[in-house]
Amino acid sequence: MSLVSRQMVEKAGVNVDELVELLVRNAAAELTTFYYYTILRVNLIGMEGEGLKLITEDARIEDRNHFEALVPRIYELGGKLPDDMKKFHDCSACPPANLPKDPTDVKAILKILLKAEQCAVRGYTHICNITFGKDHRTYDLALAILHEEIEHEAWFAEFLAQGPSGHFARNTVGESPFVSKFLHP
Amino acid sequence: MKVFTLAELARNDGKEGRPAYFAYKGLVYDVSGSFLWNDGNHLGLHRAGGDLTGKLEEAPHGEEFLRDFPTVGILDKS
Ligand code: HEM
Repeated sequence: MSLVSRQMVEKAGVNVDELVELLVRNAAAELTTFYYYTILRVNLIGMEGEGLKLITEDARIEDRNHFEALVPRIYELGGKLPDDMKKFHDCSACPPANLPKDPTDVKAILKILLKAEQCAVRGYTHICNITFGKDHRTYDLALAILHEEIEHEAWFAEFLAQGPSGHFARNTVGESPFVSKFLHP
Repeated sequence: MKVFTLAELARNDGKEGRPAYFAYKGLVYDVSGSFLWNDGNHLGLHRAGGDLTGKLEEAPHGEEFLRDFPTVGILDKS
């Protein structure tokens, strides 16, 4: 597909093939994170773990929302998702958020969650940097996702006693206050 | 420490099971074990087997990420 909307982005000086590749890799990071967070969340049990279930669930559902929101932009720009899901997993822009060796170690799980969010914050900051003032639609989308990743990072950091996040809870689970405008109801 | 020429470095491109090395500020790093350097490819933006000095300027991270990986030599560009 060669849409004017892609031509405009090329004309503005963005390497669109490189951008599409980054969007695919970040979409892979979102969907694999949704999967790995499912396992992490299941293991957040006991006196320490239960209290973390809700924010982990919010982050898990919002990451899936990010995947959903990225897909249309990938295709609009002439890209596609890989046919092979194994390839999709392995091209992720962030490493797998695997369960720690000791799944009862809640602090270790939190550190994995935090690292995953920090990787995402770096990834979307980069996409914002390269699209700012050039590809308005991708920028708007990447910025919306970045807002939510920054909040996730702050939630997990707060539980690791790195200071208050300053945020209130979501109104509904996985509410996606910033990305919801890109999602179909 | 082993001294690498650019040609030797280029052979360690991470493809087809070969090690993934890159040079940065004169040191050669081995990132073969990194998920984010699978097949010697870093997010479709950078490839192993070359000198990446100066390429971190646009990256959303700094040199601290290199410290987790072993250095296996120094680069001789002469
Ligand atoms: C615009 C260019 C680049 C982008 C967008 C980028 C992006 C990233 C991201 C998102 C991560 C994961 C961060 C995290 O886990 O929090 C990462 C890790 C890393 N990057 Fe880059 N990077 C770039 C350039 C480079 C360059 C030039 C080098 C080498 C000189 C490099 C070496 C590394 C290493 C060694 C890691 C750690 C990998 C691991 O922990 O397995 N990056 N990069």
